[in-house]
This record gives sequence, C-alpha cells and structure tokens, in this order.
Amino acid sequence: MPGTFRAQRVDALIASQNADGGWGYFAGKRSWLEPTAYGLLALYDQMNSPHWKRGWDLVRSWQLPDGSWRPNGQVSESHWSTALAVTLHCARKQFDAPFRRGVEWLLEQRGEESTTLARFLGIFMENHIGHDRKFAGWPWLPGTTSWIEPTSHALVALKRSAPEFGGSELRRRVTLAEGMILRRRCSDGGWNYGSRAALGIDLPSYPETTALALLGLQSCPEADLSKDLIRARELWQQCEARLGRAWLAVSLRNFGVDLPEDDKPIYRNDILATALEALSAPNGGHSLLRPGSLV
Amino acid sequence: MSAISRRGFHAAAATSLLTGCSSKQPQGPPPFSRRSTVAVLKAASYDDDLTPIILAGLSHAGLPDVKGKRVLLKPNLVEFDHATAINTSPRVVVAAFEAFRSLGAHVTIGEGPGHRRDTFGLTEEAGYWRQFHALDEHFVDLNRDDVKSIGPFLGRPEFFFSETLLAADLIVSLPKMKTHHWAGATLSMKNFFGLVPGSIYGWPKNLLHYNGIANSIAALNRQFRNTFAIVDGITGMEGNGPIQGQPKHMGALVFGRDIVAVDATCCRMMGIDPAKIDYLQLAADLGAISASQIDQRGENPASLRQEFGLIEQFKHLRLA
Repeated sequence: MPGTFRAQRVDALIASQNADGGWGYFAGKRSWLEPTAYGLLALYDQMNSPHWKRGWDLVRSWQLPDGSWRPNGQVSESHWSTALAVTLHCARKQFDAPFRRGVEWLLEQRGEESTTLARFLGIFMENHIGHDRKFAGWPWLPGTTSWIEPTSHALVALKRSAPEFGGSELRRRVTLAEGMILRRRCSDGGWNYGSRAALGIDLPSYPETTALALLGLQSCPEADLSKDLIRARELWQQCEARLGRAWLAVSLRNFGVDLPEDDKPIYRNDILATALEALSAPNGGHSLLRPGSLV
Repeated sequence: MSAISRRGFHAAAATSLLTGCSSKQPQGPPPFSRRSTVAVLKAASYDDDLTPIILAGLSHAGLPDVKGKRVLLKPNLVEFDHATAINTSPRVVVAAFEAFRSLGAHVTIGEGPGHRRDTFGLTEEAGYWRQFHALDEHFVDLNRDDVKSIGPFLGRPEFFFSETLLAADLIVSLPKMKTHHWAGATLSMKNFFGLVPGSIYGWPKNLLHYNGIANSIAALNRQFRNTFAIVDGITGMEGNGPIQGQPKHMGALVFGRDIVAVDATCCRMMGIDPAKIDYLQLAADLGAISASQIDQRGENPASLRQEFGLIEQFKHLRLA
C-alpha cells in the first residue's frame, strides 16, 4: 500500500525515541546527534509535536560554546555532525544565533591538507595521494584531513543556509568543496571515501559515499553529473546494504530520478537506516536536503 | 605511549599531514626479552570442522581460563567481493564462537569496519548471517556502540571506545592473513583499527591514518593488552591487499596470546621479514618478534611458508 513504507518507519522512530528526546544508533542505546538529526528530519511533518520538540531541545543543548556541536552527551569535542545540526535548523527555519554560530564554525574548518602551511610544505614534498590541496573540503574532526562524507554534509548544510546566511566566504567555500569532490571522482563514476585511486590503482565507488557526494553537488553549476547519476542508479539496484541503499534513494530522488517504493521490513533496530529509509520515501522529506539559492 | 613512540608519533603526524599516510621509518623501543608461544595448525578448507582445530590451537597456545569471562571476538570485515578473500571467513568466526562458548565464556562478536559504514550490510554480504543465524543476539557494531572515555590517547586529551569493548575481559583478534598496501601486512595487530568508533573518528578511520598507520597500530596494541589472536590463514590475500589483492591458499590457523609474536610468525609464513614491518618494530617491547624467542607448537611455520606476492613498493620486505 502506498505510504506504508514511510508510516512503518515513522511509527518505529517514535516508539524508539529515548527519554532525553534523542535516538541512539540502535533502539535502546544512548542518543547521538547523527541518528537524532536524521530521525527529526524523517519526522519533518510533526515539528509541532511534543516528541519532535524534545528531540529538538536535545540537539540545541548539545551546541558547544565555539558554535559546533558535540556528537553525543558523552563526547564534548567539536564534530562533523555539526553540519547535520545546521541542516536541521534550516529544515525548521530557525535562523537564530545558534544557527549562525554553527555556520560560522563550519566556515572556519577545512581539511588539514589545505591549510596555508600544508600547501606551502606541499610544494617541497611528493604528492603521492594526488589531491589538489587548494580545493579545501571538511574533515571528520578539526585538525585532520578532508574526506568525501564530511565535505558533503557540510555542503548540504551550507547550501541550505545560503539564502539566510549569505556572504562571499560561504560561496567561496562551497565552490572549493565542490571542486574537491569533483576531483576525487572515481573512474567508475561514483565516489570512494576520499581518493579516486591508491598507489596508481583505481578505487571503486561505494553506495553511501556516492550518494552523499551527489547530495553535496546538488545545483553545482559546473558539474556534469549524468555519468555519476547512472552509476548511483546502478549501485542502488545492486546494493543490498540498507544504509547505502537508503542514502542512494534520498540522493537520487533529490535529482528527480524515479524509483519504485521499497517494501522491505524495518532493518534490525538500526535507527539511522530506519530514519534514512523514511526520508527516502516519495513523501519522505528528502527534499529537506535540497539546497537553497546561493544568490 | 612511551617517549620513543611519541617521537615517532609526532614525526609521522608531520609526514601524514601532507601525505595522508605515514612513511616514517620508526625507531623501536627496547625489545621484548621473554619467550612466547605461537601455535600453527593446519586447516585445509573452510569446509573442515574448524571448532576442534580451534580448541586445539587455543590449548597449544596457552589460552588462560575463560570460564565466566566476557570474550570479544574481533573479526576483520572490510569490504566484500565474491572474487577475492577480504574478510575473516564467517566459518572461522562461528567456530571460534563455538569454541569459546564450550569453554564457558560469554562471547560477543564485535567489529567496526574501517571502509564501510553499514556494518550489518557488510556482515550480510560477507555471509555472516548465513553461517550464524543468531548473530543478532551476539553482534555489536563497534563503530556505533555507546562509548566511554579512556582519557588521553593518540595525542588527544580524551579518546572514546565502545563500552562493549572496554567491558571485555579478553579481546580475540580474528584477522585474515593479508598483505597491505600501506602497512606491508595486515594481521592481528592492524585488525585493532576496527576498535576505533567511526561515528566519532570517521571513515576510513581517518584519525589513525593521520597519526601514522604504524604508530596507531602500536598505540592500540599498547592500550589493549588483554588479547589473544587467531589468524585466518586458510585462504589469505597477496598482492595489493587489503582489498584489491588475490586469494592465496595457506591452509593454516595461527594462535597465540602474544599477538606481536603471532604477527611475526605470520609474516615469516608469508615470506615477509617481520624486522622490516614498521608497526612490529614500534611494538617490539610488547612481544616477541625474533623466531629465537618464539616457542612454536603444532606445525613448523617454515614448512608452511609461501611467498605472498608483494606490490612493487614492498618488495624490500621479502624475507631472505
């Protein structure tokens, strides 16, 4: 029955919400920002409900003084999932001071290989990874090198933030990060975690990274993504792994690709997969990850 | 972390700032001065009844009493490709599970894959669910488990690991015998990369590469000392491992409490000189590397030696 797929997942998410308002990666586990952010996005049509408000309050309480977000209640370090918190603010249309500090923190971060010092030192050293260091992306953690996933999450957040936040620095960082992703595209048309090849041998694309890279490249004016979308569709058809398949469906639907609705049962108490599958449904809120205007 | 390894750590971090991976030639700490036991047992095929072989290996290698203990089996799950041999075979994992259960241990299987976020998807693709229908009840995704701080580690003021891992009385490393295109060989010690929670530190365990692969392997093995190893060398991988290499039949399982000695023995069986493996040298105070310090049980590893193919960058690792 149409709509059942999403409804089952919405019910499962509500039933597995922790008392603090968040979600763990698995039902019954402690809350983390990533499954909580995706859980709240998946419940996008319930933003006025008490359970949504409890989750939102938890997310807001996890912002650190520097504007970043911590990944959960135990770890007090700045974390890549700050991008998800910013995207969630955009989905809720809450463009207040915490939102602005989150965007500002994102704009301060870059992969360590793209700092001025690293680029200068790079002139004198062999670049056997082959990355062009001027195209700065985002790291998983501050002070480390950039990778496709955190860069893609940051791109989605910044593109969603652009109409409210604006500014030339945001546009500049978006352009550089798009360039970084495009330059790390695998020969098969998708994306691996961070490189297109290792020791001269091509690396294969993965479902989850291909999906996220495409989400990050939405509305990129210079990108011809036709080959990548074909690859993403192939991966979606081949992929049995539920997390990767859900991310691919979210991404492909945002590019207007028509996919049949899945009829698979809920997956092993895996909250992130459940939330992403709910988002990936035709009426599932995947458009919340579409960019705003960069103008 | 010792002063020497800390120096190596910082030097490698500076290199990896620019390269993404360490190529620093490490200076090792003073070598381990005691003796260790490693058992090598033949296992021709995954179709063999592996549980009695594993029980014999545990006994030969001096497994301590595990009755009533919490044992975490840590296989190596990286990627799946039908054409090659990337992951620890599910048959070895199931046999190890049965063996430890028969000894009265409370057994959990845990892994935090470095390359793929979807741990359950990977366990399905790698055939774990076909071999072990009750996996749900016994498997923990170490990438996404609840976490607890151990304090300073790898240059960070606080470092977090899975609570299931930290609660274990014994961590059993269950790697595949493989070559590795950055580390030379990936065995019991390198397998501990999967202990680091990706949900915090990212994929492919970015922080460990950034700090230098050899330094990170040594640091993890310095941190977790309640360990045992069972290496799946029934079919290993040669060439461009750990993912893109070719299967190599060895027909053996390797056991030991001293996982440095286990890895050194595996290197010799693969035709690799353990004295040239950086992470073994950085962990030289933790276990025996020299064959003269290792009491071998079961098969003579020299009689099973096969030359695992090495990529051009690692030809110099070949054992004379």
